[in-house]
Amino acid sequence: MTDLQLGIASLPILLLLIFLRMPIGLAMLVVGLGGTAWVSGGSLVVLAKLKSETYSTFSSYSLSIVPLFLLMGQFATLGGMSTSLFKAAESWLGHRKGGVAMAAVGACAGFGSICGSSLATAATMGQVAMPELKRYGYSGGLSTATLAAGGTLGILIPPSVVLVIYAILTEQNIAKLFLAAFIPGFLAALGYMITISIYMRLSPGNAQVRPRVAYRQRLAALVEVWPVLLVFFLVVGGIYLGWFTPTEAAAIGAAGTGIIALINGGLTRQSFTDSILATASNSAMIFIIILGAGFFNAFLALTQVPQEISQFVTAQGFSPWVILLIILALYLIFGCVMDSLSMILLTIPIFFPIISVLDFGLTAEETAIWFGILVLIVVEVGLITPPVGMNLFVINAMDRSTRIIDTYKSVLPFVASDIVRTGLLVAFPGITLFLLRWVY
Amino acid sequence: MHRIITGIARTLAIVGGAVLVTLIALTCLSVVGRILNSVGHSDFVKTTLPVAGDFFKAFGPINGDYELVEAGIALAIFLFLPWCQLNRKHATVELLTPIFPKMFNRLLSLLWETVFALAILLITWRLSIGMSDKMRYGETTFLLQMPVWWAFAACTIAGFFASLVAVYCVYQRVVERTKGDPALPGSGGMDV
Repeated sequence: MTDLQLGIASLPILLLLIFLRMPIGLAMLVVGLGGTAWVSGGSLVVLAKLKSETYSTFSSYSLSIVPLFLLMGQFATLGGMSTSLFKAAESWLGHRKGGVAMAAVGACAGFGSICGSSLATAATMGQVAMPELKRYGYSGGLSTATLAAGGTLGILIPPSVVLVIYAILTEQNIAKLFLAAFIPGFLAALGYMITISIYMRLSPGNAQVRPRVAYRQRLAALVEVWPVLLVFFLVVGGIYLGWFTPTEAAAIGAAGTGIIALINGGLTRQSFTDSILATASNSAMIFIIILGAGFFNAFLALTQVPQEISQFVTAQGFSPWVILLIILALYLIFGCVMDSLSMILLTIPIFFPIISVLDFGLTAEETAIWFGILVLIVVEVGLITPPVGMNLFVINAMDRSTRIIDTYKSVLPFVASDIVRTGLLVAFPGITLFLLRWVY
Repeated sequence: MHRIITGIARTLAIVGGAVLVTLIALTCLSVVGRILNSVGHSDFVKTTLPVAGDFFKAFGPINGDYELVEAGIALAIFLFLPWCQLNRKHATVELLTPIFPKMFNRLLSLLWETVFALAILLITWRLSIGMSDKMRYGETTFLLQMPVWWAFAACTIAGFFASLVAVYCVYQRVVERTKGDPALPGSGGMDV
């Protein structure tokens, strides 16, 4: 067997192991190390590599941002910031048809600007918004679907852990990727609100609207969210203005949300320990996947699989757009069964070389950033796609009176809104790249 | 035994958290120092308030802060590993779990748990060899001149505990198989 054949054979083997429930990071580690040992004709290279590779992966300065962002997100859930965000959004939107649900989406978007995690956003906003939605007579299915969809804004609106990983994998600038995610994130929130508006007109149910709130009170409610704005400006503004490195910004963000939680009385000994333990298991999980992906990708590079596949694909003479659509469709399908991070670490090393040689009429950097945002979005759709969207489970578990099947039904319009938006962003790369071109 | 192992894993995770919090404080101090320093060097302060300029210039970034962050995060991750292992938090695709027979699922769990424990043992073993290499070459970090083997040693100790917990996890699966105890927490794919 040639090295190339071995490399290609490793892909189905890896997938088989993963579907046989082998932990994803472990599977990549084992296949990567095994493959490298085979190609290099013995265990010598592998053993030598292992002496320093684990430490150098875990101590990478750019990856140190990951646990910091995770801790920042944990602290953000304690700060009472979710409540003030929801109240502010409710005072501006509550009097419209479907306004309380729209407010939940708006508050999720706001929370997403200080939290880089979808599940944390969905769970935190769920606790605040779910009782309100029930009180105003929204059906269980629409309530859970709104919050599950709103949660995906957590990862789309910077800061975002997945974008950080993409930036590191493809050697792109994190600040530029964050900037490019803004308009798509805003469009997502807008799209969800329009979806709710249409949904309410087609099947009004017995949801009530809130009385209109005077502008004075609306502004007062808006002022209440200043801690969120401050942390967001420090973290994302600081990165973008070049005040600090992304890692420093994440440290400042974690300190900021921690201090706010402390002042609001949300940070007790117990909740602090819980935050640390949740950060611990998530960080370890992510770093094991990154470690495995590192070994697996090194093995693939050794066998030249990524180059060969990208040459093969381009030699077929398909239109770049067809290839892009196929890749995005694959993400959509895989997103239904696999978590976003593993999927990105598993596929980007194979798909990115293909995309980077295709001509979309953009510069190399623009293509990389645009593709990153598209991948992020389709991966997130997987979080709310039945039957195994994680956000659906998290939110559904919070509301015992709603059957999962109702959540499944009600989330479909949101999935449709996601697909329409993805289509727009694919057809007009300028939407994603607008801010980037304007600023840089 | 379960209580002891859980206690160890939890304590290590909290120590890792303390390391993380320390790094956050260190980074924030370093950033503040750097900003104050650049205020002291700004033309505006130099011309209008030279005394304040000299005062601000006394501040500065913490020397070698990046090196400390790198070493500290690596240690924190190793300290976090046992807690993740014990709670089965590693990302896994559970799509086919409901389809497989119960015995097959348990067999798979035992198999992967064993492979995982072997992998962590391998990593820790090689890490300790890496440590003795660094010790022999006397390699130090660029700015702080801190011997690199210190960080390796700290990680190796954490890796030793991670191996211990990983082996215990295998034992848990064996007990589960023979006694037919209620299933352990299934590992769920975590989306961040």
